Amino acid sequence: MNAKTRSRVLGWVVTLLTVAGAAFVLLPYFWMVSSSFKTQDAIFRLPLEWMPREPRWQNYPSALGRFPFGVYFFNSTVMALAVMAGNLFFGSLAAYGLAKFRFPLRELCFRAMLSTLMLPLEILLVPTFLVVRQLGLLDSYGGLIVPLAVDAFGIFLMRQYITDLPDSLIEAARLDGCTEFGIYWRIVLPNCRPALAALAVLSFRENWDQFLWPLVIISKEALKTFPLGLAQFEGFHSASYHEMMAAAAVGMIPMILLFLLFQRAFVRGLTLTGLKE
Amino acid sequence: MSNGLPSVPVSLPQARTAARPFSLTYANRLRLAGFLFVLPALLHFALFKFYPMAQALLLSFFRYDLTSSPEFTGLGNYRALYENPLFHQALGVSAKYTLGVAIPEWFLALGLALLLNRAMPGRGLIRLAYFLPIAMSQIVVALVWKFLYHPHGLVNGLLATVGIGRINWLSEEATALPALIAIGVWRGVPLFAVVYLAGLQAIPRDYYEAASMDGAGPWQRFRWITLPLLRPTMLFVMVMSLLMAMKVFTNPLVMTEGGPNGSTRVLPYFIYETGFAFFRMGEAAAASSILFGLALLFTLIQFRLLRRGLA
Repeated sequence: MNAKTRSRVLGWVVTLLTVAGAAFVLLPYFWMVSSSFKTQDAIFRLPLEWMPREPRWQNYPSALGRFPFGVYFFNSTVMALAVMAGNLFFGSLAAYGLAKFRFPLRELCFRAMLSTLMLPLEILLVPTFLVVRQLGLLDSYGGLIVPLAVDAFGIFLMRQYITDLPDSLIEAARLDGCTEFGIYWRIVLPNCRPALAALAVLSFRENWDQFLWPLVIISKEALKTFPLGLAQFEGFHSASYHEMMAAAAVGMIPMILLFLLFQRAFVRGLTLTGLKE
Repeated sequence: MSNGLPSVPVSLPQARTAARPFSLTYANRLRLAGFLFVLPALLHFALFKFYPMAQALLLSFFRYDLTSSPEFTGLGNYRALYENPLFHQALGVSAKYTLGVAIPEWFLALGLALLLNRAMPGRGLIRLAYFLPIAMSQIVVALVWKFLYHPHGLVNGLLATVGIGRINWLSEEATALPALIAIGVWRGVPLFAVVYLAGLQAIPRDYYEAASMDGAGPWQRFRWITLPLLRPTMLFVMVMSLLMAMKVFTNPLVMTEGGPNGSTRVLPYFIYETGFAFFRMGEAAAASSILFGLALLFTLIQFRLLRRGLA
């Protein structure tokens, strides 16, 4: 065997290992979907049943009937969309100010904002709860949305992108008599569509998934989010794993769709922030 | 320039001499505009980040149960934490979890990125398969893995086929934390592999070609081209992986409720429990302040490393 064939064989072996690794990574999800179509007795049966003998579609309606999942789904969507809108607007607005203007204490402003990347809600849980309570926003959409509506990550991501926009674009609009806000709205925003798309996807993903914050401030059934609904499933019906897996599979759908539709934006968002100076 | 707009620089000296109270020079107008763009975000941060941070620090010196009015206790809460063996345990658990998740992530994510960066048939699909877990909700992850770790679940089922007996993963002190660490790694590796992959793709291909022509082998190319150029990416991954692991909460809550015997009670869970189950808000705030201090320390150390790394 000469060196060339040997390296080719080696290449195939590495590729096969890569594929095997991918199968391993996806195994939990395969098992979740497969189990969601099984009977309660079949999910723990040995030897392992990779495919359900007879798919039980009724697991889905009966799982979703346990709790008002439609309401939860709606709430999560509203929360994620509103927070996303806030992040896109205020994030790009602040990023434009920081990237293209000079004013006293600008650097300090940016650093102070950036430092809050280290202050996620998990760390500021108690005082943020108290602030939201003082504002009278416990148990409301406002309480779910407002504290999350501006985020350092979004400002950072947008600033990275806006910094690279040519100044001449902005100068030209200014000479044409455009107002400062008009420049932002009609020139800057349309020119950073890729960054906005990336931020939109990342923000939606993260906030559809919020768990601790709704857990702490929401007690009304009508305002619970989908993750909260899934979690209480675990508490009350811990025996019926087949139904739990059905509910979890439904909860996965928006994320999968989002990911498949916007895979590019996803990856771009993850890379825009970390790699440039 | 002759259209007489007030905003063109030509009008600058004239505006400066004007003494009218509300007229602004061109330069000052721009400064003001820039500041106004930042202002909404700044106000939000003041209300929801800086004020709570100050509040947390202040509250940590008070005893407060949400209903009666706060009562000053000086360093009482910190002393209570210092004397609370559960807090010490939580610090230890958090340290083990954070390092146990982050350190394997650094290496595995880089390895995965190198694998996915190779030319191979079906590369797009294979990448997609690896990246899919990034899109999963935390809560779905927690429920699915609880099911997998069930005494009669898939993990034990697979182990049974190779003759290993049943393990109660989540209800044994020895295995509960490693079981959660495994989930953290499984979730984090694809995420950071994406970041590494972008870093790899930013390295110009001619560097490798030039090195090959000079007779450098694969290991030498990796050691002297890939590693040095990937340094900023690596440091970013280090900071983010530690911060992410430090704030883990959903899995311990949903899968183990901090048990058995507190072996999975990480610091964020300890804070949640102290504040919202026992209503000792002051003590929870003190613990929050300590967690923030730790996060800050980690980040400062790494920023210093980062600066040295870039120089």
